[in-house]
Amino acid sequence: MSLRVARAIAAKDLRMEMRGRSAVSTVLPFAVTMLLAFGFALGPDRLLLAQIAPALLWLAALFASVELCHRSYQHEGANGALEGLLLSPVDKGAVYLGKAAAAFVQLIVLLVVTAGIVGVLFGLPVGRAPALLLLTAVLGIAGLSTLGSLLGLLSVRSRTRQAALPVLVLPLVSPVIIAATRATADLTQGTTAGISGWLSLLVAFDAAFLAAGYVVFGHLLED
Amino acid sequence: MFDGLAAVSQVSLEIAHEETVWLRGWNGSGKTTLLRLIATAISPTFGGGSVLGFDLRTERSAIRARTDLLSHETRLYGDLTAVENLRFACTLYDIDPRLAGPTLERVGLDEVAAVRADRFSQGMRQRLALARCLMRAPALILLDEPYAALDVDARVVVDEMLVTARAGGQTVVVASHEAPPAHLIDREVTMDGGRVVTPTGVAP
Repeated sequence: MSLRVARAIAAKDLRMEMRGRSAVSTVLPFAVTMLLAFGFALGPDRLLLAQIAPALLWLAALFASVELCHRSYQHEGANGALEGLLLSPVDKGAVYLGKAAAAFVQLIVLLVVTAGIVGVLFGLPVGRAPALLLLTAVLGIAGLSTLGSLLGLLSVRSRTRQAALPVLVLPLVSPVIIAATRATADLTQGTTAGISGWLSLLVAFDAAFLAAGYVVFGHLLED
Repeated sequence: MFDGLAAVSQVSLEIAHEETVWLRGWNGSGKTTLLRLIATAISPTFGGGSVLGFDLRTERSAIRARTDLLSHETRLYGDLTAVENLRFACTLYDIDPRLAGPTLERVGLDEVAAVRADRFSQGMRQRLALARCLMRAPALILLDEPYAALDVDARVVVDEMLVTARAGGQTVVVASHEAPPAHLIDREVTMDGGRVVTPTGVAP
């Protein structure tokens, strides 16, 4: 039953995104604009741009995740649908898993597109070690989507609303951003020596966020 | 209590199984808050109660599984079609999704089953929300201003729902400043200032 509910929530969110295209029309342009702004601010030094490109890529993913998770719960709050989920007799952890899964899929797509742009603009060789880069992307995005889907709820439930989301997400997700950035930097420079440490850190944080989200989500949903 | 103000206070109300009660009162009298308390959408700051034999504070899941609250907030997803909204509800409430089609027909929305809910009028959305409630057939139905924003056809759907509920042995509480048809009501209860003032009135 729980998996069926999680699947239904994820399918519903993805279907709504396909129709509303809020990620494509707002989140992606936001990420691209941010990258361009950094590019202009840092100047034409190609070496410097290539060095910081992994950090810019993950910062873009981070800000995109904050915006995307907020929008996801905005849809739920529009006609009281969030209250409908609260009052439905389902495992609230399953609702969380569904929301996180939908955010994961959308963010992976956004990251792949953004990585292509970073590759062109900043000369980041994303074609190197593609399998390990993909694994880094999956683990990093898993961290962003699991935490964002939990704290995104607060952006529509708390009085401070959207302002609360980045304030809560940024400190908590820092280890994920650091590990994903370092792993991406190492892999694009052709180094795989210390990669397992960064990937292990990502796995640990993903598991912690997922477990915390599953347990805590129902309590946050209550008044 | 909301921000130190008591929206509902010292309410003592008993509703029998299979009874249909009209909860009447002016705006701000506490009708909506009382329905939301019963539905467990909010928690009482003080006190407690029992709904369908389940404790209001400790057995909220059991109450939610057997109760439906319909209000002006339709809980629909605008980007989903009418039938998709119902099928999604089927998953949440573990209902056979094949019921979605016939239920849409019952509320007169079968011809717009594939139209997105955000293109519906408020009355059509209300009817779609009614369809969801009809599919669920919960033991307790809480209707908050069910006649608001409805055209004549949709009001008939609400009245039919009351008839169906009575025939099906469901308990119904209708919070409305507008009187439901007298023959569909067993009892009326008046609220004022967050309190029940006439708990034993007889329907006219």
